[in-house]
Amino acid sequence: MIGFLQAVTSGIAVGSSYALMGLAMVIIYKTSEVVNFAQGEMALLSCFLTYMVLEFYGFSFLAAFAGALAFAAFLGGFLEFAVLRRAKEPNVLGMIIITIGLEMILMGIVSWKFGADPKTMSFPISPYDSVAIGEVFVSSLEVLTFIVALTVMAVLFLFLRYSKLGVAMKATQQNSMAARLMGIRTNRILMITWGISSVVGCLAGLLISPITMQPYMMWDPMLKGFAAAVMGGMTSLPGSVFGAYLIGIIENLFGSYVSIEFKSVVAFAIIVLVLCIKPSGLFARHYVKKV
Amino acid sequence: MKRILLALSIVGMVLGVSLGAAAEQGVTDTEIHIGQWGPQTGPAAPWGSVARGADAYFKMINAEGGINGRKIVYHMFDDGYNPAKTKAGVKELQENIGMFAYTGGVGTACGLSVLDYLMDRKIPWVGPSAGSLDWIHPPHKYLFAVYPLYYIEAKALCRYAIKNLGKKRVAIAYQNDDYGKNGVKGAEEELASNGLKLVAEVPVEKSDTDMKSHVMKLKNAKADVVLLWVTPIHAVRIVGTGRALRFAPQWMSTSTCSDFPLMYTISKGLWGGVIATTFGELPDSDNPLMMKYKKEAFDKFAAKGERWGVFYTAGITFAEPLIEGIKRCGRDLTRERLVKEMEGIRNFKGIGGRISYAPFDVSKPYECRQGMKEVYLVKCLKGGEYEKLSDWMEIR
Repeated sequence: MIGFLQAVTSGIAVGSSYALMGLAMVIIYKTSEVVNFAQGEMALLSCFLTYMVLEFYGFSFLAAFAGALAFAAFLGGFLEFAVLRRAKEPNVLGMIIITIGLEMILMGIVSWKFGADPKTMSFPISPYDSVAIGEVFVSSLEVLTFIVALTVMAVLFLFLRYSKLGVAMKATQQNSMAARLMGIRTNRILMITWGISSVVGCLAGLLISPITMQPYMMWDPMLKGFAAAVMGGMTSLPGSVFGAYLIGIIENLFGSYVSIEFKSVVAFAIIVLVLCIKPSGLFARHYVKKV
Repeated sequence: MKRILLALSIVGMVLGVSLGAAAEQGVTDTEIHIGQWGPQTGPAAPWGSVARGADAYFKMINAEGGINGRKIVYHMFDDGYNPAKTKAGVKELQENIGMFAYTGGVGTACGLSVLDYLMDRKIPWVGPSAGSLDWIHPPHKYLFAVYPLYYIEAKALCRYAIKNLGKKRVAIAYQNDDYGKNGVKGAEEELASNGLKLVAEVPVEKSDTDMKSHVMKLKNAKADVVLLWVTPIHAVRIVGTGRALRFAPQWMSTSTCSDFPLMYTISKGLWGGVIATTFGELPDSDNPLMMKYKKEAFDKFAAKGERWGVFYTAGITFAEPLIEGIKRCGRDLTRERLVKEMEGIRNFKGIGGRISYAPFDVSKPYECRQGMKEVYLVKCLKGGEYEKLSDWMEIR
């Protein structure tokens, strides 16, 4: 029983970082229907720069993390403005390919600048201290990640539902022509969306960095976040978070009771299954574009 | 006149052909081409310094005037620890430029992907950077292993755990490929000879990042010693997850995770107390040869930001016997001659353990093609310092 509870708790713990990545991907998808494969690497660059200012320039945590989030917002907006917007005759497939290209470029920059040796970021909370709930343990960093993930989800949900900017974002996704006619600067909306998404991804990265940092560190969370988002229907914020926790829990239960060798691929088996049974995802309100 | 010309041209052709046969691929009057692959990116990137260590070593040799009038031209490439890329890269080097020989090359799986290619073409390969049984089972005429077997390392660690630490419940977390399985095999054999068994064998995939299920399996098995046959990053994650799950066995690891200053830093100090095997002089050693390499190779030729760590010096250790063999060939440098000279190496002492080879004999793979047969144990102290736990041990 303890083993089962530990596996579920561990699943929730690891699910939080998937959830943050999933949220980041959903925000961009919601407004532009582009799956952003550069999501992880955008966060990667912000995290390594944070590491650099913390280790070599003696910044305080507060300054470094605030700076990281600001940089992430800028980076997201900049990439949208400087790269994606420049695409000629943009279609969704072309955009996705562009994000894959960006992913490679950003990873290349980080590998080149920071080298191959793994690193670790100093952090106010040790990733190796843990809290005990009875016989079940969860690390303090994971508790923090859990809180951050739920907070971000709630804030984004409220933002998209009640703020003017949030509503404009939704309008842009649903019919960008009509949105433009109503006076919404859709280009600017897209840029802001990329900025927000990049910040959320950066949060995920900053919460992973205290363990180990290396140029590949965001790839797995990004893929798992993507899996979670697909499961949740790609447009639903709570859906992607729910999907992330489900994947985390299934992974851990699968690893504990079925086969540890195939633990890391089980997430992708789930995607295939979900796409076969309910192609629009578990949480999507099916949105059909009128022709 | 015509006849004379014909005769001359025939003589010329014959001479030309024979000259062509004498010249070996990858060797000219002034150059020797040597190749190596190694991960400079990806999860195994910390081992990439093996290839860079060899680079500085060769530059030092060139700066000292080369070997018998020839300089070494060194070609290394990044394969990202991906066997498919290793194979493509080696083919490219061999078919576009033509290497005389290869040295080092990180990774059991990466090496296996080019083993047949190199051996079919009779290209010598000295010191694969992996202690796999595959190099000598079966032995190959042109392949000279240096790295002591992981299998031997596992035996040495288990022996120490049982005899010196009085432990009985040994478990292993191993990378699910030949590297990891070699460790499992060694541990199983050593435990069996003491009437014991592994209490848990937990496979780790290279793509795994979350280690909780793995650690729970080890914890549930009540292991008091855990061998880590994984990459440095996975090793740190396992020890860290163990700490968070309040599981504290004696962690032990292979030479691949024996770069203590690095491991200590990236584990935020959790690597303290870990015992590992190693097969070379330690970076802070006062061994004269080590000090020479530090001064003449590392200080002069290493890139900015490079670290004088155990993987860097291992790159030199793997290349030393190749250089010794090439030296012994004199000006007559051919692959066959190199093999003959390598087979004559006995108790060669560079910065690793003693290295000996013997004439090729399929029935004695360990004697004829496994160069280094000894290891010793070290413990990680505070700040990533080394404590020597044993002398060189030769284990069968």
